[in-house]
Amino acid sequence: MNIFDIITINVLQSAIRLATPIILAALGAALCNKAGVLNLGIDGFITMSAFVAIVSTYLIRNFTAIGMMHPVLATFLGVLITALFGGLLGLIYAFLKDRFNVDLVVLSIATNMLALEITVYIMRAVFHQSGTWSDSSIVQLPSIELPLISSIPVLGDLLSGYNIIVYLSWIFAVLLIVLMKKTKWGRYITAVGENRDAAVSVGISVTKVRYFALILSGVLSGLAGAFLSVGHLTLFTRDMSAGRGWLGNAAALFGFNNPGGAFAAGLFFGFADALALRLQNVTKIPSYIIQVMPYVLTIVILSIVSYKALRDRRKRKAA
Amino acid sequence: MKKIKAINLAMPVSAIILGVIASMLLIALTGVSPLSVLETLLKDGFGLSGKVAPLFMTLGTSTPLMLTGLAAMLGFKVGVFSIAQEGQYVMGAIIAAWLGASLNLPSPIAVPMIMILSMAVAALYGLIPALLKVKLGVNEIISSIMMNNIAAYVLEYLVAFPMRADAGQKAQSAVINRDYWLYQFVYGSRWGISFVIAVVLLIVAYFVIFKTGKGYKVRMVGQNINFASYGGIRSDKVIITTLTTGAAIAGLAGCMEVLGNYHRIMTGFSSGLGFDGLSVAMLGMSHPAGVFIVSILLAGIRQGAQLGLQISLSVPRELGAVLIALVILFVAVSDVYRPALERLLSRKERKNRRKEG
Amino acid sequence: MNAITFENISKYYPSTEVQASDNVSFSIRKGEIHAICGENGAGKSTLMNILFGLERMDSGRILINEEEVTLRNASDALAHGIGMVHQHFKLVPSFTVAESILLGTEEKPFISKKSEVEAVRELSEKYSLPIDPSALIDTLPVGMLQRVEILKMLIRNVEILILDEPTAVLTPNEVGPFLDTLRNLKERGKTIIFISHKLQEVLDASDRITVMRKGKFIGTKESKETNIYELADMMVGRKVLLSVDKKPSVPGETILSVENINVTSSSGLKILDNVSFSVRRGEIYGIAGVSGNGQEALIKAIAGEVQVRSGVIRISGKEVQNLSVEQKRKAGMAYVPEDRVHVGLNVEASLLDNSLLGYEDEKCFKKGMFLDEKKLRERAEKMISDYQIYGSSVDGLVSKLSGGNMQKVVLAREFEHVPDLLIVEQPVRGLDVGSIEFVHKAIIEERDKGTAVLLVSVELDEILSLSDRVGVMYSGSLAGELSGDEINETNIALLMVGKKGGVE
Repeated sequence: MNIFDIITINVLQSAIRLATPIILAALGAALCNKAGVLNLGIDGFITMSAFVAIVSTYLIRNFTAIGMMHPVLATFLGVLITALFGGLLGLIYAFLKDRFNVDLVVLSIATNMLALEITVYIMRAVFHQSGTWSDSSIVQLPSIELPLISSIPVLGDLLSGYNIIVYLSWIFAVLLIVLMKKTKWGRYITAVGENRDAAVSVGISVTKVRYFALILSGVLSGLAGAFLSVGHLTLFTRDMSAGRGWLGNAAALFGFNNPGGAFAAGLFFGFADALALRLQNVTKIPSYIIQVMPYVLTIVILSIVSYKALRDRRKRKAA
Repeated sequence: MKKIKAINLAMPVSAIILGVIASMLLIALTGVSPLSVLETLLKDGFGLSGKVAPLFMTLGTSTPLMLTGLAAMLGFKVGVFSIAQEGQYVMGAIIAAWLGASLNLPSPIAVPMIMILSMAVAALYGLIPALLKVKLGVNEIISSIMMNNIAAYVLEYLVAFPMRADAGQKAQSAVINRDYWLYQFVYGSRWGISFVIAVVLLIVAYFVIFKTGKGYKVRMVGQNINFASYGGIRSDKVIITTLTTGAAIAGLAGCMEVLGNYHRIMTGFSSGLGFDGLSVAMLGMSHPAGVFIVSILLAGIRQGAQLGLQISLSVPRELGAVLIALVILFVAVSDVYRPALERLLSRKERKNRRKEG
Repeated sequence: MNAITFENISKYYPSTEVQASDNVSFSIRKGEIHAICGENGAGKSTLMNILFGLERMDSGRILINEEEVTLRNASDALAHGIGMVHQHFKLVPSFTVAESILLGTEEKPFISKKSEVEAVRELSEKYSLPIDPSALIDTLPVGMLQRVEILKMLIRNVEILILDEPTAVLTPNEVGPFLDTLRNLKERGKTIIFISHKLQEVLDASDRITVMRKGKFIGTKESKETNIYELADMMVGRKVLLSVDKKPSVPGETILSVENINVTSSSGLKILDNVSFSVRRGEIYGIAGVSGNGQEALIKAIAGEVQVRSGVIRISGKEVQNLSVEQKRKAGMAYVPEDRVHVGLNVEASLLDNSLLGYEDEKCFKKGMFLDEKKLRERAEKMISDYQIYGSSVDGLVSKLSGGNMQKVVLAREFEHVPDLLIVEQPVRGLDVGSIEFVHKAIIEERDKGTAVLLVSVELDEILSLSDRVGVMYSGSLAGELSGDEINETNIALLMVGKKGGVE
């Protein structure tokens, strides 16, 4: 079998779709890591956001005048509300860290546990649904064909025809790359993350940097969650995130916490996912072998990076 | 001294109270009276009536919690926030299911052998993040999460392909040799010999940690690594040994769930049990007695929610898990209300003193 | 005109019960190089941190250019034209020189690398401090990092520059050019405050010198009108000697021998330079010297696990320089470290737990596989009564104890097995008079039992009243050794400032 029989344009398109939530999570995680506030709650943020997205879309669609008249608009509003909800989660994290110096690692573990269960609980208690919940009135986010680009052969198919959250993930990636590389704020974020004292001694506010990083990572997680529940399908199931947040954390480390690197790693993980699905259909290679790769690679990369850092330190000591 | 002990006890207690209050609000969503929910939880979590008494089932469910809780506790004691128990638990279970279905030895030889090998493999699996942490300084949380996911995929692969029993709907391994099943005190309760082993291990852990030189080293490294190193304790070695021991115990938990309860492994075998262990260790104040009590408490809540709430009150069974998660959440944010709690305690103390005086 | 005037500055740290600044008043003239000298803990850094807005004073006033100011944080200080170069550099490893210098001063949101490099180049030329603006911080030597820190302040147009122990991190070759830099900056009208305890440098570089001791202002001298001896006296102070009853020592065989050891720091600086000495059974060998002259590395090499580059350390004839702490302890070493709160004790644990460290594997404390708790309790009770430890029971937390009682716990544990070699480091720092007497008596008793005692102290009177022989550290090597009648204040003070010829 030819490699191009396996990796078709459809596979690449599904790779981009599968990568989108991972990329969003990875961008947020990378930003937080750069700012020196490890956010391991992203996976839980995504699950809760997915739930909020479908619920808010459902409510707007069925109980507001705008929603009843413009079903698509209801979905867009649902996405917007979810982005704000994610930002609120980030804000709460930042507040607890800044004001009370709460341990974010422990908080994140609690968040992830709670997210998993409380979404299902509310789904059952309020909507009397078990397992999955969807409502036929909800319309998924429409695909948008990009003018000009969509007419380019092959590339047009690859880069066009996704919903708005996919494009937003690209825009955020570019914005964050510019922010970190080209602006003074990016420099401040790096300074706070790498040497807090250095930042404080020249009057940079650690508080502002932390709030910014955590809130933005929340917004990005919100978009990732909305993408899962109203972006492609219109349903919510238990554990909607299914570890994508953790993959995002891994991708951020994989990409050395640079937004560009995190984007590339997220894309790569998405591709691995798509390839796994494809191989399952056309070959006998078990998909798990490919799905497990991101985790193995992350451990390997982490070990190599840490080993190098350690060796450099030793070298300098010996010198 | 007394005040410090009081605050250590008051913290988990207030987290539980706050968790229960928050859960009551969630129950209100269903329109069911919170009091009847509590009653059902108690009856179906800890009661003694019914075909198989709920209390026995709770004791059965608490067994793996005790062991993963103990494993997490060992990490805490040596100063490492380890969340790798999940993967180790799965690894132990895989080895048990594999050997249990393939060995052809008399059970007095096979069962101990299966247990030891499960523990050994889990220990090796736990050695990886421990070494990465101590030798290279890799963040143990990130590496543990990766290791847990890898274990989950290995399990999924194994039950889907090489270990799959039949091409039927569910991906699961073959049932293990009937002779290797661990004895249950009440059939169908899951409460059996593995519970006794878990309790014995908790008791052993108590004595080792608080009464031996080895345990002393573990505690000193966990509390003040500079002090330990100054006194000649090899802290690297102590951390690695302790984490690996914890890994073996988590592996044993997985092994005994297979031998004593499921008798095979299947897709989705571990549903967050590792994190449950972490919760147990945190709420149990990193003490074997605390781990014992909290394991039973959490298992009972879950059991009661599973059995009673959904069926008799049609309150979603997830309430049990939500309650537990909320309690952990309130532990996590305890820095917020801790000062108030301390003030309250010291005021009480002063009042008591005045009364005495 | 005065650039800065301190008026009655006081600062007390309740957590450590230290009066770091005690009613300090003096002033600094505009355009001078003003050195502030004093021992560790004299309050120099606290005062400078107050001036730079990093610490708040309890009472007092600060005047800048004769006007009272309030300094709440570093930004306030910078706005008043005060800049500070800390002893531990505050730099981001992954940044370039230009990025580090300009951090926080950027006006426009978007960064232009080209104009930044240009700006830094201009600045470095203006002050004749050459540096490569695109070099990475991670790759620069310490002297260059210091230059980055100075430029970082200069680009903020500071008029007053504080330098905290600037020469401590420099190699001898770097010190000369650095002092030139200070003079150069002075010529351009800047006021320089520079903290140091290296008296020769201070005399060479400064216009005036202020000496502080134990949080108090001692005096300000014109550099031209004073000398190294007067400054040393001011720094150390003539204190009333505590009388300690001490019989003449009866030294036995050599227990500790240190032969030509060399230790290098992570940045390649020579910390110990060919140090040799020996300590015999039944004597107290005092290591004197201004702190920061290699004592810390010496102790770490003997009692810890710092690798020596070359040389041999023997305890009772056994080579130990490559052994673990555990093995050194087995060889008969006991050690009372300087930092009892974070190293010598585990304050979050009980007195019982603290009494056990180092003995947890001893057979005599075991009953089967368990620790013999009854025996250990009795032992701890005995320690409490023998060493008069007040404030806690066997099960009480050590954090509840006062400083003196904490130190008694350390002594009780370390003296337990009558060690062959006892290392004591700053044993009475921060203790009250009663505890000081107790600790000193206990050390002498150990000596009389036949232990070889190595005492490291920067307190001259402690060295004088306890030591049978004295080695003085200066700049990483042993400047001289004194015994018998040679041990007096003048001789030690001379060696402390590196005057080898001081001993007749």
